[in-house]
Amino acid sequence: MTAAAGVQHNRYWTNTKRLFGSQEGILLLLLMLLIIGVGLYNPRFTTERNLTDIFNANAYIAVAAIGISMVIITGNIDISVGAAIGVLVALSGTLAVELTAAGLPGPIVLLAAWIAPLFGGMLISAINGLFVAYLNIPAIVVTLGTFSILKGGLILIAGGSTISALPDGYSLAQQDLLGLPVPIWVMAVLTLVAFAWMRWSRTGRSQFAIGGNAEAARLSGIDTRRQLMVTFIVAGMFYGIAAVMFATQYNTIQTVVTPGLELQVITASVVGGVSILGGIGTVIGSTLAAILIRTIGAALVFVDISPFWLRAILGVLILVTVLADVVRRRRQERM
Amino acid sequence: MTTANPARNGSEFSVRLQGILLRQETILFFILIGGVFLMSFQSDVFLTPENLLNQGRLAAEIALIALPMTLIIITGGIDLSVGSIVGLTAIMLGVAWHNWGLPLEVAIVVALLVATACGAFNAFFITRVGLPPLITTLATLALFRGLAEGIAQARSVSGYPEWFYILGQKDFDFFGTATVFPNQLFMVIIGIIAIGAALAWTPFGRSLYAIGNNETGARFSGMPVRRNKFVIYTLSGFMSGLAGWVFVSRVSTTRSDMGNGFELTAITAVVVGGTSIFGGSGTIVGTVLGLTLIQLMKNGLALSGAKGDSTTIVVGLVLIGAVLLNTFISNPPARLKRLLPGQD
Amino acid sequence: MTALLELANISKSFPGVKALEDVHFSTDAGQVHALVGENGAGKSTLIKVISGVHPADSGTIQMDGKAVKFRSPHEAQAHGIATMYQELSLYPELTVAENIFMGHAPMRKAGPAQVIDWGEMNRRAEEILHSLNIHDMDVRRKVGALNVGNRQRVEIAKALSLDAKVLIMDEPTAALTESDVAKLFEIVRLLKERGVAVIYISHRLIEVFQLADKVTVLRDGKFVDSKPVSETDEDDLIHMMVGRTITDLFPKLPSEVGEPVLEVKGLNRHPHTEDVNFTVRSGEIVGMAGLVGSGRSETAQVIFGILQPDSGEVLLQGQKVHIKSPTQAMKLGIAYVPEDRGTQGLVREMKIRENLSMAVLDTFTRFGFVIKRNERKSGEELIEQLNIMATSGEQVVNKLSGGNQQKVVVGKWLASKPKMLIVDEPTRGVDVGAKAEIHRLMSELAQQGLGILMISSELPEVLGMSDRVLVMRNSRLVGEFSRAEATQQNVGAAMMSDQIATAAEAVAAVAQGDDA
Repeated sequence: MTAAAGVQHNRYWTNTKRLFGSQEGILLLLLMLLIIGVGLYNPRFTTERNLTDIFNANAYIAVAAIGISMVIITGNIDISVGAAIGVLVALSGTLAVELTAAGLPGPIVLLAAWIAPLFGGMLISAINGLFVAYLNIPAIVVTLGTFSILKGGLILIAGGSTISALPDGYSLAQQDLLGLPVPIWVMAVLTLVAFAWMRWSRTGRSQFAIGGNAEAARLSGIDTRRQLMVTFIVAGMFYGIAAVMFATQYNTIQTVVTPGLELQVITASVVGGVSILGGIGTVIGSTLAAILIRTIGAALVFVDISPFWLRAILGVLILVTVLADVVRRRRQERM
Repeated sequence: MTTANPARNGSEFSVRLQGILLRQETILFFILIGGVFLMSFQSDVFLTPENLLNQGRLAAEIALIALPMTLIIITGGIDLSVGSIVGLTAIMLGVAWHNWGLPLEVAIVVALLVATACGAFNAFFITRVGLPPLITTLATLALFRGLAEGIAQARSVSGYPEWFYILGQKDFDFFGTATVFPNQLFMVIIGIIAIGAALAWTPFGRSLYAIGNNETGARFSGMPVRRNKFVIYTLSGFMSGLAGWVFVSRVSTTRSDMGNGFELTAITAVVVGGTSIFGGSGTIVGTVLGLTLIQLMKNGLALSGAKGDSTTIVVGLVLIGAVLLNTFISNPPARLKRLLPGQD
Repeated sequence: MTALLELANISKSFPGVKALEDVHFSTDAGQVHALVGENGAGKSTLIKVISGVHPADSGTIQMDGKAVKFRSPHEAQAHGIATMYQELSLYPELTVAENIFMGHAPMRKAGPAQVIDWGEMNRRAEEILHSLNIHDMDVRRKVGALNVGNRQRVEIAKALSLDAKVLIMDEPTAALTESDVAKLFEIVRLLKERGVAVIYISHRLIEVFQLADKVTVLRDGKFVDSKPVSETDEDDLIHMMVGRTITDLFPKLPSEVGEPVLEVKGLNRHPHTEDVNFTVRSGEIVGMAGLVGSGRSETAQVIFGILQPDSGEVLLQGQKVHIKSPTQAMKLGIAYVPEDRGTQGLVREMKIRENLSMAVLDTFTRFGFVIKRNERKSGEELIEQLNIMATSGEQVVNKLSGGNQQKVVVGKWLASKPKMLIVDEPTRGVDVGAKAEIHRLMSELAQQGLGILMISSELPEVLGMSDRVLVMRNSRLVGEFSRAEATQQNVGAAMMSDQIATAAEAVAAVAQGDDA
């Protein structure tokens, strides 16, 4: 039938338009332009090794951004993400060293040091989630509080010491798999898994509903509190994974919270197209944004700009992203 | 529904209402007294005028920032960029004096102008373009800090002339009585009085509460909503500039990471002081009490041997405690019910 | 035959308010049951009891003769009760299909996991829309891109996707254009044929007679009566709703008409205001009639500086003015009582005194500080003058009834001593007593020499109060009638226009005229 064919064709066209009108499409385009542009200016930039390094270095930010994107899509925020990762990194390193010292066999030690942060992250986030979902305290206040507690608590307990003498095989993030560093694999697989989860699972879809219109979600029979709680806990698991990736990338671990880490994670999420007002965004966007941010940072050196300007560039990037979104929405409203 | 209750006359009613309004501040005050009492047992040093006034010196920068932050949060907004403005002000001050060779007095003015411009930049995007304050100031948090880092290129500036340190490091001598009253506290006190009075007693202050409760309603009532919002974000920039100036004067040096995390402490102080994060209610008195409580508890913890920044743990605990308290006071039965399983 | 849904002896209290007292309600399958009553009569609370949002304090609910309890919206839904709220409860960023199936998306197995079956969901969404005779909606589109009428259709499809046995529609036509109303009625009839029980709430009595089989009247939270529509008429319904017959609601007093206060020339603001010209003189009440969406409110908002005109002139007492903000309009002596009291007219969380002084706070200041004593005194005078029922000026506005809240809005603008008063739906959702008071007040103000522009959807109000009547339709002024010329037929016809008016709206407006 010609009418059906027309509809089919039309849909194809809208889908194409949708890709390049979407945040993900724009980010991909920007990323490619940036790599090609800087590569032409300075061919050393596009060596395989350099590109791998770029993708590798921010992988843990991308993984944490997956978690926080879920939280932001529900219309909440998590300021404590940086402090949580800091605490979990210390937890992983301490377990690795202490359990080895206690004489446990190597594989068990490694497994514990790699798995415990996941549960730790879920626990921390569950506490945040409890306050937000069940006590109706705004997420920004709760996580501001847990941020301070975690940050202060880490200093109180670990005192900013450095953990070294990590057991053999601990450095997961330094290993390669099929020619690519493990963090890149983790980032790619988790992004796809999270994307699928958010698109095809009930909880995933309800995140968009809660962020878009929480009251309506409740009236649709969605148990918004439970779903919020689940979202926070899942996000916490991603923080845990990010912490393991962070902890295992060097041979020593600093037991301090990286200043401004929460900002890097939130920035990746927001630049990736996740609306701070909730209800909109994808984790593919946030991962692409994390890569883009790292690429910009790496490119600065190759085009002879001081890396100290990186943060200013990020600020402009966030502003431009949000402005573009506003313009797009106003255009849509007018239609 | 009008439920006119003849048994309760007007004045009694208003007294009762005032009591409710004062509650968060009253409770804070008693917690503060209790805390001071307890901590004075922990350490002999704690309850000395020297120590307390020195705490005032340490808290002055945050105080200057928390005052306009109160106004902003009352309108339902937020300003995350204040800490970065502190850093940028510090850098501008140092660079204008050291690198550009301007007289230090002029450098101070330049730095304050830059800070005010930063505030106006936020204000522009929030009131004219209509971006949400959270995202706007998140972006400028990165942008202003980035400018500070870019301009500074990791160099610090120190070696300021001696007079420059009077503001940050010296005490005011009350006619030879050898009292230790930190000079910057005068700036803080003027700020508290000016901003507190403006909030409580002027049409400007009233409009901020109206905006926080119902912005459209305020606009339709002919209140200058945009102008007043512009004013508070710009004021926030200016006050952060003052904080930056005081900070440099206190620590004798200029670095681009100065003021890192100030936004979080300031917001904490405001929320602990009873200002609703949703906007519509809050007072300067509450903020001052909240900040005092946080600073003294940090001090108490430090005196009992806690290391460095670990005292921020108190900030978090006090924040969550205060909000929980506030939640339970405002609506106890329903909240309690929610805690119980199967009561949905 | 047992009723599909039967509520008996339902009572519900909120702190300080008895919202429902011993209310009965029952409906059968395939029946359209209208629920009517004044604002505050308890209709919304009753709906919330039925839909499980607010469980009742006492009373019983039966479905098909079996006792049920709805402790949450979810439980009510599980029993086949679906609700369309006034504020549409959709997710603008999600697709039509997702909105329809939110909370109960079709799932399929993917290995060990249960996942959402998007293909099935889109297919079933299309199926439901087709069954409602809707063939022009792409289920993959975001709901945010749809207009109000289409969003409402999505809401109805959502209810059907739940296999709803009972569908509650709360003021479904309030925001619809004429053609959308006709489509909605068609859908309601389709639902009825399918055996769905529709509970239909509307302020437009004509809709009750067009659609409903049965009508239940509530007044002050109490059950008044329930009868087949064929056994009642408008007068009877109104009598039951207000508890008395209304006579002489609109006592427009004679006043001296003087110089022009407001002149509007060639005002344009796309898309709601096109080439609007009119004049309001001092001492004159000019009514502006028109359907919802005809551009009346937007025109008023352009004059008041909330919206900026694309072109055209506004003259105030002969002087050309460029009004850029409400603040400026107010300073020039224009006051605007907006259409939506809750979000535009008041700051309900604040006190009566603070609301009353909002527009004129500067006049109570000395050295920039508000002198509370003066503010309080002025507030008390206004409370007295307008007969606002409140314990004191320190009471929070939220606690007042609709009529008293509206008086606070009017009082706020009286305090600003305007020359030109624009009132937009001044008596919507206001009880009869307060309505009469507001009308008397407007009359008195005109006598004092104010120019008044009164926007209203209620024809009797327009005809009774106005010295002159302007009619807007499709963003344009299409008619002007003197008091003598302004009859229901003339004005009603101008509002509807012969070609595009749906019967529903035309009859509705005329019928409202009959009430007076």
